[in-house]
Amino acid sequence: MSEFVSGISVVCFAASYGVALACEASRLLFRSGIRGAAMVAFVLAGLAAHTLFLGWRAVHEPSVPLSTPFDWYLLAAWLLAGGSLWLTVSNPKTPVGLFLLPIVLLLIGAAEFSSRRPFPQSTTTQVWGVIHGGFNLASSVAVSLGAVAGLMWLIQAGRLARKATPLQGFRMPSLEKLAHVSSRAVVIAAWTAAAGFGSGIVLNAVNRRRGLLETVPWDDPVVLRMATLLVWLVAAAIASRLVARRPQGPRVVAWLSLVSLAVLAGSISWGVFVPTRHGVPPAGHIDAAQIDAAEDAP
Amino acid sequence: MTLALVGASHRTVPLDMRERLAFSAEQAVEAIQRYRSRFPGREVVLLSTCNRVELYTAGEDDAPPPNAEQLVGFLAECRGLDVGDLSGVFQRQVDRAVVRHLFGVASGLDSMVLGEPQIISQVKQAWAMARERESTGPLMTEMFQAALRTAKRVNHETTLGRERLSIPSVAVADFARGVFERFDDKRVLLLGSGKMAAETLRYLRAAGAEDVVVLNRNPQRAAELARRLGGVPVDWREIDRELVAADLVVSTTAANIPVVTEQRYAGIEQARGGRPLVVLDLAVPRDFEPSIGRRAGVWLYSIDDLAAACEANRRKRQREIPAATAIVEEETQQFMTVLHHRHTNPVIEQLRAGWNETGEAELDRLFRRLPDLDESARREIRQAFDRYAAKLLHPPLASLRDESRAGPPHGLLNALKRLFDLED
Repeated sequence: MSEFVSGISVVCFAASYGVALACEASRLLFRSGIRGAAMVAFVLAGLAAHTLFLGWRAVHEPSVPLSTPFDWYLLAAWLLAGGSLWLTVSNPKTPVGLFLLPIVLLLIGAAEFSSRRPFPQSTTTQVWGVIHGGFNLASSVAVSLGAVAGLMWLIQAGRLARKATPLQGFRMPSLEKLAHVSSRAVVIAAWTAAAGFGSGIVLNAVNRRRGLLETVPWDDPVVLRMATLLVWLVAAAIASRLVARRPQGPRVVAWLSLVSLAVLAGSISWGVFVPTRHGVPPAGHIDAAQIDAAEDAP
Repeated sequence: MTLALVGASHRTVPLDMRERLAFSAEQAVEAIQRYRSRFPGREVVLLSTCNRVELYTAGEDDAPPPNAEQLVGFLAECRGLDVGDLSGVFQRQVDRAVVRHLFGVASGLDSMVLGEPQIISQVKQAWAMARERESTGPLMTEMFQAALRTAKRVNHETTLGRERLSIPSVAVADFARGVFERFDDKRVLLLGSGKMAAETLRYLRAAGAEDVVVLNRNPQRAAELARRLGGVPVDWREIDRELVAADLVVSTTAANIPVVTEQRYAGIEQARGGRPLVVLDLAVPRDFEPSIGRRAGVWLYSIDDLAAACEANRRKRQREIPAATAIVEEETQQFMTVLHHRHTNPVIEQLRAGWNETGEAELDRLFRRLPDLDESARREIRQAFDRYAAKLLHPPLASLRDESRAGPPHGLLNALKRLFDLED
């Protein structure tokens, strides 16, 4: 069994999600009695492999999850894939997977390009590290869901404005529901991004005070990109509140959600391809046991 | 086994004749009972709807169903009509054509409104009524079960009956539901008292709408309409206030000029607080200026917009006809193969019985010659004999099954009877 689980690779679940996405896309081309079941089966298979992969790493790698950029991206992809499955099963006529699975695949792609080296941490910093990573994860998931709802709102509004009847097998949720999801997601994304950034500052301060780990400077690319994302998300949340009682409010929020996803994607690309000191072990590496021993010393 | 059908439908007979031919539920029961006593041993189902009257009958070879003239005479007698008046009224079909026709009818392919779903329950009711009167046997049971299965397949595998065709249903299901998730927290404003308002409101009620306000220039008419439709009558002078409070407007006034101009709407827009407004303008001339529909948050649909959507849906249904017909053909073929194969059962049983008898006799003789064989060895030998017989029988049985696809395999059956000396 352990041999089987250890043999699961990123390609296994990425391929399953890819096939599920192809099934979903084929809704636009032809009708099929078994497509829905096939699509759910492929997402389920991908999710099972994805879960086993993350579980295996959690057991065999120190400090996982959220302690490496690689695991962070995969966990974000896992959450969105689970959300996609749940929404597909609860709304079988709505092609949610067509919108969510590409983001899942992009996150898996980003994981492949990111570092698998764990962030150096002690017991104290591990707690702050999980809080920091968890809030950033929640923010990214909220941005993704909001953008999907925003895009669906624009498609549905376009169809209603053209006075066209819905395409068979391609029914969108109501504008009311989509507007609700996208406006909530923008606000949640801003709050969680702020909490993620704040906990990052605390984490950095703890590292600096202990003098055991190298700290991340303010002009580090990761700090700059997260600050940019935070500023944008806060501005988007404020803007969404300002237009809430205007007739064009839902359309504005839909666009804000989409731009938020673009900013997030830019931020991720920046983080993947630009060198950073975020999560890089200091010169003269100190492992976790040494740090804990040092913390326990009088 | 023979199947026969005489029937008249909207395709062949005008409404006045269909009215004269139609059976009420009681009359249908009476007709079935009369048929049972007139033609004992035959199966019958009577399907009578506003668009068709069809008598399905079946009988075995020794008691075939009545011929078409007898059936037409029977229907004329039941409805008190002169047979001469029914000349050319009824279509007559036998065997495969009957099966194909019933499967098409049950699937909505033969309905006046293509793909309409009520026909399935009407077919079910007709079959249930015949079963209760014990006028159905195995053949009718299988045929109607197969018809319902076919209808289910058509419904599942095509969109024949899914697209909406009436203006109120399209307005609510395809457009209003695209804007609003729920209706129980929405206010519906009825402007005017046009006929389509009540029908649209029926769909809105089904979707959950509870809060309905009725505005009419004539207060008495507003009160009467509100009472009838379960709404609250409001003075016409309150129209601006009600437009602010409304989430969905159904407008059917007889006004010659727009009741709500863009200027008027602009005056109340801010007070609406950005809430979306769906307007179903079913009046001719229109009650809302079309330019209002270009404003943010307003989803305005005129009667022409909705009629165009209905027409688009009708075309979508038409495009499904080939797929639905293919399913009907496939199910008909499958049913007829089973039916024809049934002709072969007595011959197959005789053949099997003869071979088993011979086999048993040979085994007895063998076991007498070899008395020392233990039970296990005897079982092995017996099983080998059975396998041998089954393998020898397989090719002729497979040929019979293949031949049944095209029709009753009389030639093969006669050959088998002669070759193996089977009784007729």
